[in-house]
Amino acid sequence: MTTQAYYLPKSVDEAVGLLAEHGPSLLVMAGGTIAMPLINDGISFPERVMGLRRAGLDSISRSNGHHAIGATVTLSRMLTWDEIPLLQKAAHNVGGWAIRNMATVGGNLFAPPPSGDFAVALLALDAQVVLTSAAGQRVVPLNDFYTGFMTTVVQPGELVSEIRVPVPAGQTAYLKFARRETNTPSIVTVAALITLDGQRVSDARLALNGVGPHPFRARRAESRLIGSVLDEAAIAHAGELAAEASDPMDDAVASAWYRRKMIPVMVRRALAQIVAKEASDGI
Amino acid sequence: MASRIVEFTLNGRLTEVMVKPLTTVQTVLREQLGYTATKSGCKQGGCGSCTVLVDGQPMMSCLLPAEDIAGQDVVTLEGLTPRDGLHPLQQAFVDNYAAQCGYCTSGMILVGKALLDSNPEPLRDDIIDALAGNYCRCTAYEPIIEAIQDAAGRMAASNGKEAHR
Repeated sequence: MTTQAYYLPKSVDEAVGLLAEHGPSLLVMAGGTIAMPLINDGISFPERVMGLRRAGLDSISRSNGHHAIGATVTLSRMLTWDEIPLLQKAAHNVGGWAIRNMATVGGNLFAPPPSGDFAVALLALDAQVVLTSAAGQRVVPLNDFYTGFMTTVVQPGELVSEIRVPVPAGQTAYLKFARRETNTPSIVTVAALITLDGQRVSDARLALNGVGPHPFRARRAESRLIGSVLDEAAIAHAGELAAEASDPMDDAVASAWYRRKMIPVMVRRALAQIVAKEASDGI
Repeated sequence: MASRIVEFTLNGRLTEVMVKPLTTVQTVLREQLGYTATKSGCKQGGCGSCTVLVDGQPMMSCLLPAEDIAGQDVVTLEGLTPRDGLHPLQQAFVDNYAAQCGYCTSGMILVGKALLDSNPEPLRDDIIDALAGNYCRCTAYEPIIEAIQDAAGRMAASNGKEAHR
């Protein structure tokens, strides 16, 4: 069956109106880098598709201590947006140039592991997701956004319209371990944000991708770090706790066993980067 | 839903096509307009052989609905090729043996064009980074990287000549 209708709404109002009218049978697409491959292969054959490229969701603004990033801002744009270096680094770790010109910030939230290496950085930044429907808006922490592999809290009639990113305090690190340097699926990706109060960690966020059904935060590893000094023992223990929290899968990229083994290694390297940054900032 | 008319600029010429819902730019170019320099490889956005430039930016035409590019400027390899001879990038690909089967070449050259337009003197790493989304399965990448470096030099030299005229 071929697609019967393709809508290109010119505003969010028009977009949520179409969603209200057609319900879950309307496939929402932004850059097309996730939906179109499935459609081209005949794995997905939606009767109705809505593209968001012209819906006016591509602005970036700042208010009340956070950055508001429109859902259809492309990853290429995030690469040149230098307010949050962690997001630049993450954007560079998704696809190649042409894919980044198409793929969007909002769309990456729906990229299943071992994709989704932009969303994992948003998770470390404690981003919030704005969901818009004909009835209004609600804001959900990205941390509560995922409910399973390729499932989210997005309800019928809702679409992701904006991502809110608090202006980060502290040091960040982003490490993607993969088979190639770029344009490659993840074996393990680590996005970390550490805030220090003197020598001790006052806030720790450790987000992982490629090693679970969706990007997730390793809460017990974070708790282990908070209040402690970033020494070898604390870092090693946090890495072990992060591995315990994972639920990696076997695929063509790597085995679950290997992915789990690599988690403490990548966590250690990410935290070592933060220790090194702190040391150089302190000089 | 009925087919729709989409107007866009293709290689400098205003073009009008009638498309069924969700028809891709790749299908429009190859099957409706006969512009076959744009290749059809994986149809997953994974290989880069279908790369076209949209408003100067490389995009995967296999993932791009034609209706999305209404009013925009699309350039394919056909548009890069002058009436007589070859574009410096094309000539550099010939001279550096940067094509074997040629399937990736169109995408490689267009990415090279987009790169040199924004960065006329790219470092080797800039070229490698720009090409990361384009796969070659026979020539290997070294001659392709060298061809783009070579073309950058040729284009800088000819621009210099024009400036001194």
